[in-house]
Amino acid sequence: MAQQKVRRSGLTMPIVTPRFVDQAWRRGCDFVTLDLEDSVPQNRKEYARTLVKDAIPKVTRAGTEAFVRINHEHMAADTEAAVWPGLSRIKYPKTETADEVRALDALITRYEKERGIPHGTVEIDCGIETALGVTNVYDIAAASLRIKEFGATNGGYDMSRDLGVEMFVPFDQFVYLRGESELAVRALGLGVRAAPFVANTSGSVSDGNRARRQAEAALACGLRVGGGGLNPAVVESHNVGYTPSAEDVRDAHWVLEQFDRLVAAGETWMEVEGRVIDRYEAQRARDTLAWAQACEERNREKAEAVAKVRTQIAAQQ
Amino acid sequence: MAGRGMNDKKQRSWWVVPASKVDAIARAATSGADVIVLDLVEFVRDEQKSAARESLRVAIDAVRAGGAQVYVQIDPRQHEDDLRAGVWPGLNGIVVSRAESAGQIEGICKYLFLLEKERDIPAGSTNLVPALETARGNQDAYDIAAASPRVRALTLGRADLVMDLRPEPSGEIHLMPYLMQRLVIIARALDVTPLGAWWRAPDRGLLATADNTLQAAKRGRAAGFKGALCLRADQIEPLNKMYA
Repeated sequence: MAQQKVRRSGLTMPIVTPRFVDQAWRRGCDFVTLDLEDSVPQNRKEYARTLVKDAIPKVTRAGTEAFVRINHEHMAADTEAAVWPGLSRIKYPKTETADEVRALDALITRYEKERGIPHGTVEIDCGIETALGVTNVYDIAAASLRIKEFGATNGGYDMSRDLGVEMFVPFDQFVYLRGESELAVRALGLGVRAAPFVANTSGSVSDGNRARRQAEAALACGLRVGGGGLNPAVVESHNVGYTPSAEDVRDAHWVLEQFDRLVAAGETWMEVEGRVIDRYEAQRARDTLAWAQACEERNREKAEAVAKVRTQIAAQQ
Repeated sequence: MAGRGMNDKKQRSWWVVPASKVDAIARAATSGADVIVLDLVEFVRDEQKSAARESLRVAIDAVRAGGAQVYVQIDPRQHEDDLRAGVWPGLNGIVVSRAESAGQIEGICKYLFLLEKERDIPAGSTNLVPALETARGNQDAYDIAAASPRVRALTLGRADLVMDLRPEPSGEIHLMPYLMQRLVIIARALDVTPLGAWWRAPDRGLLATADNTLQAAKRGRAAGFKGALCLRADQIEPLNKMYA
């Protein structure tokens, strides 16, 4: 497993709503997406851009990574407003061509240089939300070294509209487009942001139990990159659901013990308690342990940052 | 024209047997499998590899004598050593594990022509079955399958393990429904034979019972597959039955 950042939970929030942005540090997210796009009305776009520079440190002081979602149609102005120290990623919605990604990469490179940010700090996260984007998905994912993770969870409202399909149905509308995205991502060796199909027929975005089940199913599939959510009720579900349980960790140790026996016996596989033990299972176990450790470190890092903020606030009062 | 697919001889069941296990090879000859795949990759440890290679020529004859067709599964990173050890009169073809690119297939074909000439085997008669077990191999599946007329079939091999694809709550293996459909489309477009069975959790080829193999083959047949690889002797009969 390549060194993967721990990004289990996130919240997307309108940057023009101060109570969300000011309180973001209390939410326990691995990342926060400051939105300039769908949650900001057209007549406030310009005002919204003026808020990004100050919003980034508000979010990151609790150890949370700050992402900014820009508008597809305002790439230049939004990127200029967003690339400031502390920013981890630009989320670029409705990506349709590799050329768009290269243009965004060039803009980020320019502002990183002008603003004293080490080159390559700011990642690009491409949203695929249209049929044309699906058609070009491999070229898009390959278009910039700033793309570290790629969403095969794509689907959602905009995609459903563009394809003319219903979204809240009990079957998977996105088998093909998810497959296309995920195969491209895996062929390029990028982090896979994907989720197993768990039907959502209610349209609810605040159901913590469902979020937990979804995250646990993803982790069981070896998928560790969270897509975030819209409601604070899902943050803890994602943090916990994407973190290996104590039982997962015990099981991984058990698999590795069995694997040692296998190696000593000079065999390529064996059956123990109805399970196969082989090099593939051993690798999965090692991945689980590495991920559990990364999650633990991330939790500690966030807890320390939050404690520091609380101390500062107490001192001011 | 019969096409490039392998409709001329029955190839319903492909039993993968470690080339390092002499007793397994002896059983393979009369197992009832249509094809025996002598494996140098998945079930042979590194320290056993040279002995396994040396045993291939005799093993091929033994399996042929029992009536089955014989393939050898090679590691494309060691293709010259593996091919030199395995390409003998009587061999039907090569399974290329972790096939990744058209260029790799072309390199293998080039070496096959040399060996065929050297060993009095009709030029171009050694078939190839690329196993698309990596993301890159699946991404480039069309070019891989189109790289040579030797390519007669495609399989996902052990993609679920190599790509680390695990069961979803529905029982489907993550991404596999997409990969299977993609493989069938590409195989049909190029008139090569799609090989596979539609496994669901908790089955894994190494442990699947005869009954579960029958179900996997039934779904596989419905999905367009024309035969499948298997890893245990009791999986042969269900495959022969379903892919008849």
